[in-house]
Amino acid sequence: MARNLNLSQCISEALHLEMERDPQVLVIGEDVGGQGGVFGATRGLQKKYGSGRVLDTPISESAITGMGVGLALEGYRPVLEIMFVDFIGVCLDQVYNAIAKNHYMSGGKVRMPIVIKTAGGCIGSGAQHSQCLWGLFAHLPGLKVVAPSNPYDAKGLMASAVESDDPVVFIEHKGLLLKRAEDFTFGSDVPAERYTVPIGKANVVREGSDLTLVTLSGTVAPSVTAAEEALKKGISVEVIDLRSVVPLDMDTVAASVKKTGKILVVDEDYLSFGLSAEVVTRLLERKISITSVKRLAVPDVPIPGALSLEQEVVPNERSISAAIAETVGKA
Amino acid sequence: MAQEITLKDRYGYMLWMRHFELACLEGVPTREIHGELHTGVGQEAISAGMVGFLSKEDAMCSTHRNHMHAIAKGVDLRAMLAEIFEKSTGICGGFGGHMHIFDPSLKFSATGIVGAGVPVALGHAYAARLKGNQAVAVAVVGDGAVNTGAFHEAMNMAGALSLPLVVVVENNEWAISVPFSASSATETIAERAPSWRAHGIRVNGLDVEEVANAFEAALARARSGKGPSIIEAMCYRFRGHFEGDADMYRSKEEKERRRSEDPLERTKETLVARGLATLEELNEIEKSVVASISEMLASVRKDPSPSGADATRYVFAE
Ligand SMILES: Cc1ncc(C[n+]2csc(CCOP(=O)(O)OP(=O)(O)O)c2C)c(N)n1
Repeated sequence: MARNLNLSQCISEALHLEMERDPQVLVIGEDVGGQGGVFGATRGLQKKYGSGRVLDTPISESAITGMGVGLALEGYRPVLEIMFVDFIGVCLDQVYNAIAKNHYMSGGKVRMPIVIKTAGGCIGSGAQHSQCLWGLFAHLPGLKVVAPSNPYDAKGLMASAVESDDPVVFIEHKGLLLKRAEDFTFGSDVPAERYTVPIGKANVVREGSDLTLVTLSGTVAPSVTAAEEALKKGISVEVIDLRSVVPLDMDTVAASVKKTGKILVVDEDYLSFGLSAEVVTRLLERKISITSVKRLAVPDVPIPGALSLEQEVVPNERSISAAIAETVGKA
Repeated sequence: MAQEITLKDRYGYMLWMRHFELACLEGVPTREIHGELHTGVGQEAISAGMVGFLSKEDAMCSTHRNHMHAIAKGVDLRAMLAEIFEKSTGICGGFGGHMHIFDPSLKFSATGIVGAGVPVALGHAYAARLKGNQAVAVAVVGDGAVNTGAFHEAMNMAGALSLPLVVVVENNEWAISVPFSASSATETIAERAPSWRAHGIRVNGLDVEEVANAFEAALARARSGKGPSIIEAMCYRFRGHFEGDADMYRSKEEKERRRSEDPLERTKETLVARGLATLEELNEIEKSVVASISEMLASVRKDPSPSGADATRYVFAE
């Protein structure tokens, strides 16, 4: 039975358990304390662990990320919240020049066990509040990049992220955060106790034999629905939720494509130089024979303001269904 | 130009601003407006205090809470309302949405990234220097923005180069759930000004005349080459941070008390007390504003949504 929780509460539950286990875990960011996060994903933490360990900051992202580096050097495990991933531009320097590189530059002497916890995805908020950007982070060596699609994974992946000795960019989809566990068709049972979901292991959400559909985060659910619809037309779609972009679980993807011979990547991030090209290229490098390839992603445009425009560029159930039909040659 | 704007005129602008925002609120429950809508209800006296002092050559850079600033700059109301209601007739064709209003003919722009407008205003101010004209750049920000690196960097350059930059800070005392008092090393923002060789003043942002006087003085200072100013206008955000915000971080008592200090009521009382207008006259003005805006909204609602086929336009210059 699904507990009556929304996805953001599952994340807050994970953070509670991590803070309880490890006194070095800190949560720092805008509105994370008194309010418990603009989506409620840090609710109750400040009350329980105090304003020292759960710090409400001014709107000062460079200071948030920079102090995270210093705190990591002091032995803490900071969870740094950047409210929306779009705001990373303000502080990308600390993220990619320090957090991502310090372990390497120090010849492995320095660890950066930092979680950059942030919200991405489209909810009709226009070009500066709707991006996913996991491809951007994935391009920068040294960052693990996680984006859960359901409550069970969100809780378990957050536990793994906090526990990780590497920096993890943890991107929560805004369209999922306030969704109730019972409204998910997969991953809706969330144990109250601590558990982890390993970072880097994809999840076959639905098995199928005609086509491999690879996706993650907010587009997993519409992909599953589209796969159910496709089955009515005799197309059997295997849906793989990557869970993380770095590491990219190519073993799971490759095993599936060996079976189906066809690959469709559905990505809410920008199309070019990103996740979809990476997945397909790695399949080719493994010399897996592919008879059909398609990429459905945001066609290299900023996310528009009006919903009528947004729906045109962001993958949804309708466009995923069309892409499935096209990939199997039944369009 | 400023002399032409009477207190009664400013009250009229406040009415337009208030009822424009109220019209926007109508689009939220009906899902005509998606994403988070930020309105400036309660902060009208600041924008209305800026009316009449700026020409087309002066720039204004605004925020996520930009509608009233745009009205003060003279941006077309209908085109802005249509943008907010996600129509193809919107000032940006529906590509921007409510946080991203652009009107280059008036040198008006907005950004949803807190603090990011101040360096942009710095660019306008430097352009005025390069062109050798009298233009001024105005950045309007909230109190939360003053703690960003961008704000400090831009203020420092403006001071170092003595540029014509006027920063109006709408200090509504809250940045979402975090009070200004908990996030600033200084008690006021105005007192930081000298560190950037800027002039700083704190005014009552509910008093439209006080704002207008401070704004006029700051512009004069900027135009005469004396450098940047910060006007810290104290106010209160009457509604949640965005429509849908549960707003539990501010106590009921605080909200009720502060909302009772309505800048529109205050201006109305002043006008009547000074014998500049009768209550009946002012109520008539309000009625006609309400009628005009509801007509405008009804007409905007009939406009088409942008066509999906256009979604990939404008990535590069056409
Ligand atoms: C760089 C950046 N960080 C965080 C946010 C999220 N955010 C949007 S508005 C806001 C609060 C802004 O407060 P303030 O500047 O005082 O303006 P107000 O909303 O009170 O008008 C925050 C934190 C953002 N848009 N940009």
